[in-house]
Amino acid sequence: MLKKSLIAFAVSGLLIAPAHAEVQINGFASIKAGMTLDSDDELYGYTNDLDFKNESLMALQVRSDLGEKLSVTAQLMGRGNNDFDIGFEWAFITYQLNDNTMINAGRLRGPFYKYSEYKDVGYAYDWSRVPRSVYGLGFDNIEGISVYRTDIIAGFDSTLIAMYGGYDGTTGLGDGQLDGFVGASWELSRDWYNFRIAYYNADASLTFANQDANNLLGALNANGFAALAEEIDFDKDKGTFFGIGAGIDRENLVIVAEYNRTEVDNTLFANRENYFISVAYRLGSITPYISHEWERHDSKPEIYQPYQNLASTPLAPLYFGAVATVESQAKEADTLNIGLRYDFHSSAAFKLQYTSQKNKLLDTRVGLLVAGVDLVF
Amino acid sequence: MIQKIALLVFVLSFGVQADIAVIVNPANANVVSADDLNRLFLGRASSFADGTKATPLNLSEGQVARDEFDSKVLNRSSAQLKAYWSKLVFTGKGTPPKEMADDAAVKAAVAADPNAIGYISSGSVDGTVKVVTTF
Repeated sequence: MLKKSLIAFAVSGLLIAPAHAEVQINGFASIKAGMTLDSDDELYGYTNDLDFKNESLMALQVRSDLGEKLSVTAQLMGRGNNDFDIGFEWAFITYQLNDNTMINAGRLRGPFYKYSEYKDVGYAYDWSRVPRSVYGLGFDNIEGISVYRTDIIAGFDSTLIAMYGGYDGTTGLGDGQLDGFVGASWELSRDWYNFRIAYYNADASLTFANQDANNLLGALNANGFAALAEEIDFDKDKGTFFGIGAGIDRENLVIVAEYNRTEVDNTLFANRENYFISVAYRLGSITPYISHEWERHDSKPEIYQPYQNLASTPLAPLYFGAVATVESQAKEADTLNIGLRYDFHSSAAFKLQYTSQKNKLLDTRVGLLVAGVDLVF
Repeated sequence: MIQKIALLVFVLSFGVQADIAVIVNPANANVVSADDLNRLFLGRASSFADGTKATPLNLSEGQVARDEFDSKVLNRSSAQLKAYWSKLVFTGKGTPPKEMADDAAVKAAVAADPNAIGYISSGSVDGTVKVVTTF
């Protein structure tokens, strides 16, 4: 409720903006065409049929300066994979507390990763998309309040974002919510190198999109295994995110690496470790790059192991159901990306990227080719 | 002799035409370093050394001094700068400096505003503004 009213508050700010207010309108768009290279393969929403919608998007941002250090910003976005239905991706009011401190309230982007706040603005980075297996929480936005502060500390440019709020909507595993989301991201940069660290936690609740998992929980509870059900379900269970990153940008050589770890206690959520490294080299208006992503999701057999003597009883289906549900969270995949960015226009970049993802548990490999244009206006 | 001096002045002035002069209002007594310029024009600072508010003014894209300023002072290509600003604009963290049409427009704005800081080709400098540094 609080969240909805925050958005309404931000949007109403746009409507009540005085007539003389300075209004800036900016936008960005990506038009991407792609397909996997083998008939049955799927990756990131692409299939073997050439598709122009999946990763295409358009966004319009309106910012109005209300004076007295107050401004309001709304970003409307339509994504091709959602039939370009327009929604508020961001909607917030900003209060400029002083020269280097800003307070934002409304719908904001959770600053988990180095590129997460502008991951939709393809023009802002070289890749065709941010490293998807590393940036894989399954949701982007937080409704709440953030403090954005810039300083100069021992010669480093410091950027700190602290955030408090919540989330209500789809996640990677089903519809759910995050309560008491709190944490901070801190970045230090100097000349040609930078570092970053982020930590967030929240209480996570959700209903599995997978109906078999919900049925299993019901059966466990009905048969007196509520304790096991609690180890599997998400019911205000504490989730933590920890991420670090570093980058250099020197003499046209750009290297970026990030690592993150996500855990949700007392749920089937695997202990996830994801990391990537990317190397790019600017040759005038053409920037070729190569990156590698590692996805390591360790399932939690300790959830079902104490119950293994059920396997030889009439309740065996419950035990094996729990095993299958918990183990479904295991994942081990490596992804290689090779591509280039070509700045063919002062506001637009053409990108071509080949992605090869190997699922190490199933020993399968999927290839994907995507070409497109990212622009800002 | 006078001819030689005239020739020398001509050669010198011709030589400095490619340079850019960073200018402020004559009433502004602040020292501005290359680091300060970087921070002001990249939106990481918004005041001068003495704490007064600074309003950076950019030249519009395509102006000779703009390209020079981007590459010599900010050490970035125009595409890199556009990518940099799009990160800030679309995350609500900042807006790029206002762009002025040409040297004359920057000079007039700086002459009229004690908070303004801009840059123009050295050859366009006159007494209405104060040069704090050249590149």
